[in-house]
Amino acid sequence: MNAYPSNLWSIPLLVVIPILVAVVVNLVYNRARLIKVISIASAICLALISLISSYGYHWFTGQPALRPETLTFTFDPGFPAWRLALEFYFGPLQQVMIFVMSLILIFVVAVATTGLTKRQGPYMGMIFLLFASAAIIIMVNDFYHLWIAVEIGSLVVAGVVVGSGTSVSHKAALKYTFFSALSGAGLAVALALILGLTGYSNISDAIMYIQSVNLGEMSVILYVAFGFFALSWIYAGGLAPIHPLKSEVYGASFPHGTAMLQTQSKLMLVAIGIVMLRVFGNLPFVREVMLAISVITMMLGVIMALIQTDFRWILAYLIVSHSGLVTVGISLGTTDGLTGGIFQAVNDVIYMTVLLLCCEALYYFGGKTSTRYSLGLAKKAPWLGMAIILGTMAASGIPPFNGFQSEIILIQAALKAGLPEVAAVILMVSVTTFIALFRAIYRLFLKPPETSEPVEEAKVPRSLYLGLWVFVAITLIIGVYPNIVVSFIKPVAEAVSIPWYL
Amino acid sequence: MVSVETLFDKVKKWISSFVVGSGYTNMMTGYMTGELQSLVFALILASFFRIFSIPLGMVLLVAVIAGILYFAPLITTLEKESSNDLNRVLFWVVIYFAVIIAVTLWGR
Repeated sequence: MNAYPSNLWSIPLLVVIPILVAVVVNLVYNRARLIKVISIASAICLALISLISSYGYHWFTGQPALRPETLTFTFDPGFPAWRLALEFYFGPLQQVMIFVMSLILIFVVAVATTGLTKRQGPYMGMIFLLFASAAIIIMVNDFYHLWIAVEIGSLVVAGVVVGSGTSVSHKAALKYTFFSALSGAGLAVALALILGLTGYSNISDAIMYIQSVNLGEMSVILYVAFGFFALSWIYAGGLAPIHPLKSEVYGASFPHGTAMLQTQSKLMLVAIGIVMLRVFGNLPFVREVMLAISVITMMLGVIMALIQTDFRWILAYLIVSHSGLVTVGISLGTTDGLTGGIFQAVNDVIYMTVLLLCCEALYYFGGKTSTRYSLGLAKKAPWLGMAIILGTMAASGIPPFNGFQSEIILIQAALKAGLPEVAAVILMVSVTTFIALFRAIYRLFLKPPETSEPVEEAKVPRSLYLGLWVFVAITLIIGVYPNIVVSFIKPVAEAVSIPWYL
Repeated sequence: MVSVETLFDKVKKWISSFVVGSGYTNMMTGYMTGELQSLVFALILASFFRIFSIPLGMVLLVAVIAGILYFAPLITTLEKESSNDLNRVLFWVVIYFAVIIAVTLWGR
């Protein structure tokens, strides 16, 4: 029996639906109501597909692996055999990641179609292409599709940022795109080197070749490939030293756009990070290098967040910093590390969405997000004030919210690996996140207004409040019952993990 | 012998050299916390080098302490180096890439 069905129906749908929606909403351009219906319905469809789909493969070329003892074919990813295939895989990890991403997509499109007054079609198209690029990277098991999806993802990020329509966003998009030429080409070089060395475009095949054949002096090529691969990983996730450009991208977009951008970015970090771990994880000092980049990103992000005077930029730098938290776990490469890192990515995109939706709500109160103003918003919008404080608690790793559960796993993983300094940095990031966020919340929400100038009365859309409370509830539910998500992550973490050797 | 008052004056002067305003403002608290964080972080990162080699870690720790004293206040240096200027980002990307390749090849 074949437990892993080939050409699974759900995989093409998860990629083709967002691409089709992007085309259709562009065609209907400014018909706001129609765009809203199509976008929300499609996002709900994507969530349902990811929820009900079985696990399996979609392959474009190649062959399934042959079991010699029974002479039957298998798509089991753990079965060692040459597959020669360009393929996508949908398993438990892919399911949880794509489901969370589509849940965020539903509320992002609902909020965007309510708030935007013009250019709705192209903007919505970009949001859906962002989803498609991330879905491909999450499911891909071959180098060709990986490269194409990373390239598309980079350009679409620029599109979403430009969609916010200010000169700051145009500059941010241009700078980010400029670097995509460098890292996209870098990834292409890395893949070309791996292809030249192994002769296989399928990632599982290439790994099997590297593990079974003595590369001798040719192994130097693998180190150079790792360098280029790492450059692309740094770029895709906005890790140091690209963090100024990535945080500019986050800060210059609409907050709902940033919610989608950060989701794509973190899930790409996980997916590409796992590929790097699988291909290069056994090479000496590779994981140490990945860990060092992650630690530097965590600290630079959180320190830069501390000195910002605008709530949007505080969030932008915290998103970058928490990307480092995700990659710390992946870089450790142990079962606990991987579980913590992937769990952190899922939690992170949820609580950051809470904070970003709160930031979006500020636009309806006159658009002041600078901490130079005391707005006293908690009196005018107490539910919003409550949501932002709960979101801050989740982001700072305070129990019983989801951030606590993943951070405690990460701290334990670092301690188990004999790296107490990494555990200390994770703790520092948690505490500093709270300080950075609360400085802004105190000024914008809690401190009474300094001037008699009245804060604009606002009618915050119901979809925004609904999204806020749905995600606050999820942070609480996952915080109390972490196994809802961990049970999906653990098997993958066990399969990919490599023991730390200190 | 430096009196307490003189030391306090020195610290006060040092603080006001990089941010103008009272020490208890919203902006100033961010800078002060950031300075403290970056200082601890630099020390932790230096100790992290024990993974590669303990003697190298010790040398780096001493070098980092000297660097902290020389570059203080660190927060302004960090802020400047984290600017979105393309040339500066490109410079750091090249440095990172070189270090990544050098460290991994060194581990062979």
